[in-house]
Amino acid sequence: MLKNYFRVALRNFWRNKVFSAINILGLAIGISSALVIYLIVQYDLSFDKFHKDGDRIYRVVTDIKFAGEPFYNSGVTDPFAVAARKEISGIELCSNFYTADDIKVVIPNSTSEKQGIFRKQKNVTYADEYYFKLFPFYKWIAGNTQDPLKAPYQTVITESRARTYFPGLDPKAVIGKQIIYDDSLKTSVSAVIRDPEEITDFTFREFISMATMDANHMHNEEWGSVTSSNQFFVKLAPNQSIAKLNSELSALLKKNNKNEQTSSTNYMIEQLQPLSDIHFNDHYDNFGQRLAQKNTLWGLSLVAGFLLLLGCINFINLTTAQASQRAKEIGVRKTMGSTQKQLVFQFLSETLFTTLIAAFVSAIITPWLLQIFSDFIPAGLHFDLLNQPQLILFMIALVLVVTLLSGFYPAMILSGFRPVLVLKNQAFGGTAKTRRTWIRKTLTVSQFVIAQFLIMATLAVTKQIHFTLSKDLGFKKDAIITMRIPWNNRKPDPNRDVLLNEINKMPEVQLASLAEPPASTNTSSRTIKYKDGKKEIETDVQLKYGDTNYLSLYRLKLLAGRNIQESDSEREYIINETYAKILGFNNPEDAIGKMVGEDKKIPIVGVVSNFHQSSLHTPIKPLAICSAKNNTYSISVALKSSNGDSKNWQNAFAKMGVVYKRLYPEEDFKYDFFDESIAKFYKSEQDISRLLKWATGLAIFISCLGLLGLVIYTTNLRMKEISVRKVLGASVRNLITLLSTDFIRLVIISFFVATPIAWWSMNKWLQNYAYRTELSWWLFPLSGFIIILIALLTLSIQTFRAAVANPTKALRSE
Amino acid sequence: MLEFKGISKWYNVGGNKTYILNNVDLIIREGEFVSIMGPSGSGKSTLLHIMGMLDEPSEGYHYFMGQAVHLLKEKQRSQLYKQHIGFVFQAYHLIDELTVYENIETPLIYQNVKTSERKAMVADILDRFQMVGKKDLFPTQLSGGQQQLVGIARALIASPRLLLADEPTGNLNSKQGEEIMEIFKKLNNEGVTIIQVTHSEKNAGYGSRVINLLDGRIS
Ligand SMILES: Nc1ncnc2c1ncn2[C@@H]1O[C@H](COP(=O)(O)OP(=O)(O)OP(=O)(O)O)[C@@H](O)[C@H]1O
Ligand SMILES: [Mg+2]
Repeated sequence: MLKNYFRVALRNFWRNKVFSAINILGLAIGISSALVIYLIVQYDLSFDKFHKDGDRIYRVVTDIKFAGEPFYNSGVTDPFAVAARKEISGIELCSNFYTADDIKVVIPNSTSEKQGIFRKQKNVTYADEYYFKLFPFYKWIAGNTQDPLKAPYQTVITESRARTYFPGLDPKAVIGKQIIYDDSLKTSVSAVIRDPEEITDFTFREFISMATMDANHMHNEEWGSVTSSNQFFVKLAPNQSIAKLNSELSALLKKNNKNEQTSSTNYMIEQLQPLSDIHFNDHYDNFGQRLAQKNTLWGLSLVAGFLLLLGCINFINLTTAQASQRAKEIGVRKTMGSTQKQLVFQFLSETLFTTLIAAFVSAIITPWLLQIFSDFIPAGLHFDLLNQPQLILFMIALVLVVTLLSGFYPAMILSGFRPVLVLKNQAFGGTAKTRRTWIRKTLTVSQFVIAQFLIMATLAVTKQIHFTLSKDLGFKKDAIITMRIPWNNRKPDPNRDVLLNEINKMPEVQLASLAEPPASTNTSSRTIKYKDGKKEIETDVQLKYGDTNYLSLYRLKLLAGRNIQESDSEREYIINETYAKILGFNNPEDAIGKMVGEDKKIPIVGVVSNFHQSSLHTPIKPLAICSAKNNTYSISVALKSSNGDSKNWQNAFAKMGVVYKRLYPEEDFKYDFFDESIAKFYKSEQDISRLLKWATGLAIFISCLGLLGLVIYTTNLRMKEISVRKVLGASVRNLITLLSTDFIRLVIISFFVATPIAWWSMNKWLQNYAYRTELSWWLFPLSGFIIILIALLTLSIQTFRAAVANPTKALRSE
Repeated sequence: MLEFKGISKWYNVGGNKTYILNNVDLIIREGEFVSIMGPSGSGKSTLLHIMGMLDEPSEGYHYFMGQAVHLLKEKQRSQLYKQHIGFVFQAYHLIDELTVYENIETPLIYQNVKTSERKAMVADILDRFQMVGKKDLFPTQLSGGQQQLVGIARALIASPRLLLADEPTGNLNSKQGEEIMEIFKKLNNEGVTIIQVTHSEKNAGYGSRVINLLDGRIS
């Protein structure tokens, strides 16, 4: 029987080629986007899901409130882990490790290509002896598998690192070989493990025993300072109360952290962060790995759902519109003894047939879609249907869901025809028809509501991005580059003066300054106290280091006082308006000469007008600029206008590179355009905007395909009417209007439905910004205008053809 | 074989009952060849549809092969007519998407006949109607008379005891019509009960009895 159904399906498919193509294209786009987005979502959701007892593993993180301002740190203070192991009950296992970034590795007598010197190795950590017990998923290849990290100067490395450091050596032969870290820690390899293949944020490739740190007094014994490098993971005994442990851990910290006074605006507490939260929570970093945003994943899923829905709606609309063509077949089949159930089954299998073809098409276009979404696609993700059985399962499930979603309603409608009525040609009299067209209209309106919503959202997001990028941030940002100078033990570092001088002498350079950019993602800040006689004002103040050229290079406006004087360490401050106001000086002049700070009093010598130190998400914070040559590790360079000839600048960059390399031979010369760095603050917005544009384009495309299908159908039905009207003297324009009005009315209705929804949700989205654009009223009519124009163009493809067709043709065939 | 007692059918048109069939009593015996005649709109098709259980009467008792049809559930009724009744229509009502072969095969599919058996049965009937050469054509590629032959072959494929035909020759020329009537005659001789609606006295002459309908009543 199935064979029979499929045969009919195939013949119907060929008979209505245009409709079939529309259905398949719409469904294929929906299925492919669902596939791609499933890949992304599934990938991010499977991070660190494989750990044994993973639901009982937590990371201890530190939440800080500092002058009322919250800070979140993924680590603990140095002595905390050891104390917690001894004093806290309810912990079954725990491990402490210390991430070491950009560590220098030297392999003595190496034959590797870099002569055994690796300057900035990543994925290296100092781990205690419990690490491999808490995370037993590593597979051992050679060496001491019991306690490889117990003794000082031991290192466990993965197979891939072993190959890099000791090319050509068997893992067994690597055991006992020497690895020197930071020119001073001489360790030997105690074990080799396999590189983990699981999807995990634990990407460490080298584990130095924590005892090595102890032996070299590398710990900071203070209880008051937290670093995210110092990670502490615990596995709780079963059935522990998280709240109780949180307070016990915090109490342990408070007990030891004696010199810190706590209040409701100043405190430091410990929290247990579930392992499953680590890949997503952007409060805490992730040993430098990429964090996924659950909101983005939701948004993506929603987009996929929308596109799928649009494809299904096309199918439903076109199938029910064509129902009359199938009515006779249904009537006959029923008189031949078919039950309604069998008919439903038949139509569902026809839908399945269409969906399967769509799925096949989508397997072909998915790689192309992957390109579109490439900004959202994590590096470790691949599309390979043949080798991802779980993907095939998802595809099958998707095909079934889509089949039911788009096939069920038409199947019920079609199989519900009463044979007598059909055989007497009355199936389309009365109420059945009006009800069906009503549903079809509703579905079309919903399609265009989705499309309109997406257009409005795209316009709003684009407007906000434009606003953020073109807003006067309070400083100059064009034609400026920034570069970093390496951290150096020798203070002062004479090379930086040489570099600065040489750059300043270049003809292409307007001005160079030993200065941090005024806006950046990572800021340093400090609590500064000020006594104004009566009360004490304690504020968290951001610090910017810059030399005497800072203000003029970035065109910061001095409201009162004078420029800073050059100094090796902090000696005087220029503060911003916000800080001046907090200190109680409404008139900037009044702040000049006041002393702030506790142990070391520092005078305020100037006040600058406010500028935005970070993205527009956050408000302007109190800030102080000071000259401290020894603590400044960046150079800002203002270039002379290139007059459109980028060769000039390229020239200058090349010369800077030569000087830089001469002074710092171990470093690579890198520079960033300041305006590009600022645009990067809004990377997630740019990503959203790109995604929205594509989603909008696809949604409009699918919806218009559906519209085209419906108008082809109705013009075919009304061909005779059109011909008669034409013979009676109707113009082409009259006819196009006649045929388009009904559809355009639906699009207009969808505009009125979409507008309040879009207005509400975009307002909500804009709340994320401390500084935001207006949701101007014209945005909405504009999007309505765009969609009506597109709809009219789509309709005209068919209506025009019908209107200019030779009327005698249609009339003769009657 | 078939008995109607007080069968009526009405529609509510503007609040008034309009009777299509009015209190029809009727008995048809196994092996009869009955022709129903009457002016257009007198209710012939309606009567035939009710006999074939495609339509339900508004009132009355309906017996078929000893079963009280008016008491049966939809499913049982469909089971009953699937097995015992074949239909032939004036407009043939072949499925355009299916070939001749597949059209004839369709009723067997719905009766869950095995593929191998189906093949044999269809081959058999194609042979009998001398249409083996046409089995892969689609209905639109056949003449009206040929289409009606397919329609009859389809109605007969499951060996029904009762054949209902609504103006089977209405769309055919007289020569084609005669052929069809000859086939009916032969079938009737083989024991199939036939009830046909016809406007032609000549066609009615092939049958053993004529029922005249006028305004929904048997006259
Ligand atoms: N749904 C309906 N509502 C109202 N009246 C109906 C309906 N269906 C059929 N009729 C009426 O029932 C009457 C009988 O119809 P029927 O098709 O049985 O006539 P007929 O005798 O077969 O006519 P013909 O010779 O033209 O085929 C007609 O007058 C028709 O208008
Ligand atoms: Mg009739």
